[in-house]
Amino acid sequence: MDGFKRRLNASLQLKLSFSLSLAVLVVAVIAGIFSFVSALHEAHELQDDTLRQIATLIDGQGVPFLRSQAAATWESDNKDSRVVVEYLADPSQAGQQDAGSGNARARLPIPADLPDGAHTLRINGESFRVLVKTAASGGRIAVTQESDVRDEIARDSALRTSMPFLILVPILFFLIADLVRKMFRPIAALSAEIDQRAERELHPVETRHLPVEVRPFVVAINRLLTRVAQSMEAQHRFVADAAHELRSPMTALSLQAERLADAEMSATARERLSSLRQGIERGRNLLDQLLTLARAQSSSEPPRASEAVSVQHIYRRVLEDLMPLSESKEIDVGVEGNEDAALRVSELDLTAIVKNLVDNAIRYTPRGGRVDLSMEKTSTHVVLRVIDNGPGIASDERSRVFDPFYRTLGSDQVGSGLGLSIVKTIADRIGAQIHLEFADRANQSGLSVSIRLPLE
Amino acid sequence: MRVLLVEDDPMIGEAVENALKDVSYATDWVKSGQAALSALQTQHYDLVLLDLGLPGKDGLQVLATIRAAANAVPVVIVTARDGLDDRLRGLDGGADDYVLKPFEMAELLARMRAVLRRKAGHAAPVLGNGRVSLDPATREAVADGSAPVQLSNREFALLHALLIRPGAILSRRDLEDRIYGWGEEVESNAVEFLIHALRRKLGSDIIKNVRGVGWMVSKGG
Repeated sequence: MDGFKRRLNASLQLKLSFSLSLAVLVVAVIAGIFSFVSALHEAHELQDDTLRQIATLIDGQGVPFLRSQAAATWESDNKDSRVVVEYLADPSQAGQQDAGSGNARARLPIPADLPDGAHTLRINGESFRVLVKTAASGGRIAVTQESDVRDEIARDSALRTSMPFLILVPILFFLIADLVRKMFRPIAALSAEIDQRAERELHPVETRHLPVEVRPFVVAINRLLTRVAQSMEAQHRFVADAAHELRSPMTALSLQAERLADAEMSATARERLSSLRQGIERGRNLLDQLLTLARAQSSSEPPRASEAVSVQHIYRRVLEDLMPLSESKEIDVGVEGNEDAALRVSELDLTAIVKNLVDNAIRYTPRGGRVDLSMEKTSTHVVLRVIDNGPGIASDERSRVFDPFYRTLGSDQVGSGLGLSIVKTIADRIGAQIHLEFADRANQSGLSVSIRLPLE
Repeated sequence: MRVLLVEDDPMIGEAVENALKDVSYATDWVKSGQAALSALQTQHYDLVLLDLGLPGKDGLQVLATIRAAANAVPVVIVTARDGLDDRLRGLDGGADDYVLKPFEMAELLARMRAVLRRKAGHAAPVLGNGRVSLDPATREAVADGSAPVQLSNREFALLHALLIRPGAILSRRDLEDRIYGWGEEVESNAVEFLIHALRRKLGSDIIKNVRGVGWMVSKGG
């Protein structure tokens, strides 16, 4: 019950359906009771009228029935619905009349001093309706009918009167629920539309088909979306600008260090200069990665590449770029298989994905290791795979490695920490899925990264 | 050899100026677009190193002004702007090459030499990657400073293909296309055979195999 209350408070639709249904129910019950009572009353009146008419008929027309018999009955097939007409005895002759009649059934002990009019009497434990009328002849006529029968007839007709309410109420419930649901459909559609948006789809919500009551709300949301889009853009621009601005001092630094190398210096100084230059190189890498990430984040629409790019071409390009790195670490990088596929994605995007994956693989694989690039083609998808025989990524870390600057525990690698973020950002944008697993499941080692791209 | 350096960043400007002087280029360093244009009016330069992000007059405007004045001086753009748009606008605007910051001095000097060579119309320069050099005139190769080695026609064609762009990986198909003329029958294993021969003559690690892709000579030694 508590749960229902909470849901009721939470949902406008449920609340509306519920309160409307409740209102309908209350009105229907009141109207039903009222019509039942008035119909019951009406039916009783009607039957009293009938008794009165019978009395008038007997009195006026002088319907013959023997005084000695003293009572006449109109009996229908149903014994209970009979109407008994009798003359009320003079109180003084009561005993005589009783004796003179063999038909005890027909005579009811109606008090002779009953005034004219309709009365309800209890006789022998049964309830009777008695109409007493003083006839023109001076005698008094009592028309009697059993109350049970009358009540039943009255109840029946009253129930029939209130029947429409009973039938209509459930129909109304359904109708209300359905109407309310239909009325809320634009809102449901609206929430579905907003819900299925990607992170960067911040264009305003269409307000044209929305009810006036909801529109201000949506307009406010649209304004918020605009502000969010602006601040996101400002943030991305800031990252890009900052990285750009850092390029000049970085260039100055690396040029000076390069020139320093030409100077005469001791072996110790040369060694230190070498690590200084490595540090500068690292900073350069980080800057490049930051710029790539900023670019990947800022272009919201996947630019539909007009020309298809060959996977093998991309692989070759990436290996050309990374051969110096792999040679310095003595890592055997190669392509397995010679199957090729043409993908309709931007060459820059695909290169950035593959390059970052291979770069990571080379960095995190120990000296003398092996990195394999391969691809697989189905009728609908192409899967690019980069497999290394490094330590791999533990299952519980896999969801976090896509966060910017996240580094796996215990790694002394000098990557930028942005590689997988870039891969993820671009993959999301071009509709590719990334899957990480151990290359060697039995030994829980090696990383296999699969990028699944739709063929068209 | 006189070079005009247009760079507003004092540290970069100083480093580049010194490095240019080290290789005996007479260098004038100006810090704004306006100064660059007046220097170009009064002095003849063999090459201009142009930064794009300049105060006052933007580098691209300076370039447009130079070209509008029918001055054909070779221009190498040196910039931190790496958008494809910027690059295209620079090259379309009449620049001869485009170097992205941060760069290494050795690369900048190599690019400058290449631009000057193109301007001078040298057809067949000696190719090399720092470890091995190939003279197209004599078809002789020199590896690691040892004595020149004479190459056969096909050995030369293969090494020449690889040295045109050191660092590029060429597949078997690519190499076969370069070695064999039209209509010539390609022998199987010919590429491996030639590479084996070249390695024997020049040293085993001159030509590198990239598993599953092809062969390359490394970039910059």
